Amino acid sequence: MHPMEGRPTDGDLFTRAQRGDKVAYEEIVRRYQEVAFRTAYVITGSSADAEDAAQEGFVKAYRALATFRTGAEPRPWLLRIVANEARNRARSAGRRHQLELRLAARFRPGDAAPSPEAAAVAAEDRSRLLAHVNGLSEEDRQVIASRYFLELSGEETAAALGIPEGTVKSRLSRALTRLRERVEEGPRA
Amino acid sequence: MPEIAELERSLDLLREAIDWPATPLLAGRITARIATPAPAPRAWFQSRWALAAAIALLAIAALTAYTPSRDAIASWINLHTSITRMNHLPTPSPQPSGPLGKRLGLGEPTTLAAAQGKVAWNILLPASLGRPDEVYFQLDAPSGEVNLVYKSRPGLKTSRQTGVAVLITEVSGRVDTNFFGKMLGQGTTIEDVTVNGHKGWWISGEPHDVFFADANGNFRSETLRLATNTLLIDEGGIIVRIEGDLTKAQALEIAASLS
Repeated sequence: MHPMEGRPTDGDLFTRAQRGDKVAYEEIVRRYQEVAFRTAYVITGSSADAEDAAQEGFVKAYRALATFRTGAEPRPWLLRIVANEARNRARSAGRRHQLELRLAARFRPGDAAPSPEAAAVAAEDRSRLLAHVNGLSEEDRQVIASRYFLELSGEETAAALGIPEGTVKSRLSRALTRLRERVEEGPRA
Repeated sequence: MPEIAELERSLDLLREAIDWPATPLLAGRITARIATPAPAPRAWFQSRWALAAAIALLAIAALTAYTPSRDAIASWINLHTSITRMNHLPTPSPQPSGPLGKRLGLGEPTTLAAAQGKVAWNILLPASLGRPDEVYFQLDAPSGEVNLVYKSRPGLKTSRQTGVAVLITEVSGRVDTNFFGKMLGQGTTIEDVTVNGHKGWWISGEPHDVFFADANGNFRSETLRLATNTLLIDEGGIIVRIEGDLTKAQALEIAASLS
């Protein structure tokens, strides 16, 4: 991350927060709340559970700031804590939701404004591909969503999914192979 | 069939089209939450219920030491899982030969992949120790128990008695701190620690029992099997126990590398 002029780096904020600066921690939350919430959403499949998990995760992370190593990457550290909270909620009996990602209205095939033929075809393709992703197993869906839709690094994906970094590569490779087979098999939805 | 690279490009393009739920504004709420100090956990003796439960548990433990009464009591209170585990000796008594796992009662030898297939959680591995030398799976616990054995590692002492440098046990459940104070002997000390945001306890000194609620909510007791210092972590529903002739710093380093 390139520090911008006048904007404290993540490392600065963590150092200040470790010294008890709550304003610095509030800024950390602002910077990471979107990726934390979406990561929790990918795991729980429920926006309410994701919100609870992200909130609880940020509070726990604050209380655990003493364990954050200076110089370490903050995103994997935070995502690991939030994702653990999310997994706990996903495991809770009777509260299982299946992640179902949707296309934004402007990208849905029928909802697109008049557009060239190529754009219409692209919208159909997107819709079909997302339907195939939604149809994958939870494990495959989560690793694909983490890497391509949330743009998490390998380390961050490992932290979010609670698996070793080496496993991320193999799991992603298998998930892509299975997705390719589904795409090849034919249209969905 | 599309190439994987082509598929990856399509997934990249799909990113901008995803309709995520609106991100809640958490900063204000979290600032309000952290403005108040974390509630200090009440000591076990401050809770009448915890005290009553501890006394009851001690009574059960005493009674179950007498073999003929064990089965009847277990059946009566439906606590088989906690009672059957009381058979562990308070100190390890390794035999001079035989596989490590058999000597230490770790279960059946298996592989990481096979063990992973038997448990619902993702088995955590410490990056700082590398892959375990031996893996054991035990069906005793309702959701299974995985034991990872590290025979020797640079900078870590290997026990002459057991031939083990580090033993990591993972089981589904939650640590019950209410019983710590009561069950630890006078020669044992316990210290709260935090590892990657998870609660942990550094237990050092004499051999000790650990109480926890298993996946079915039953209390279970386990005597630590290497009679060495121990780091116990409640990793969000998975209890990870790191045993070995380790310093606190070494144990924390191993724990922090778990993923």
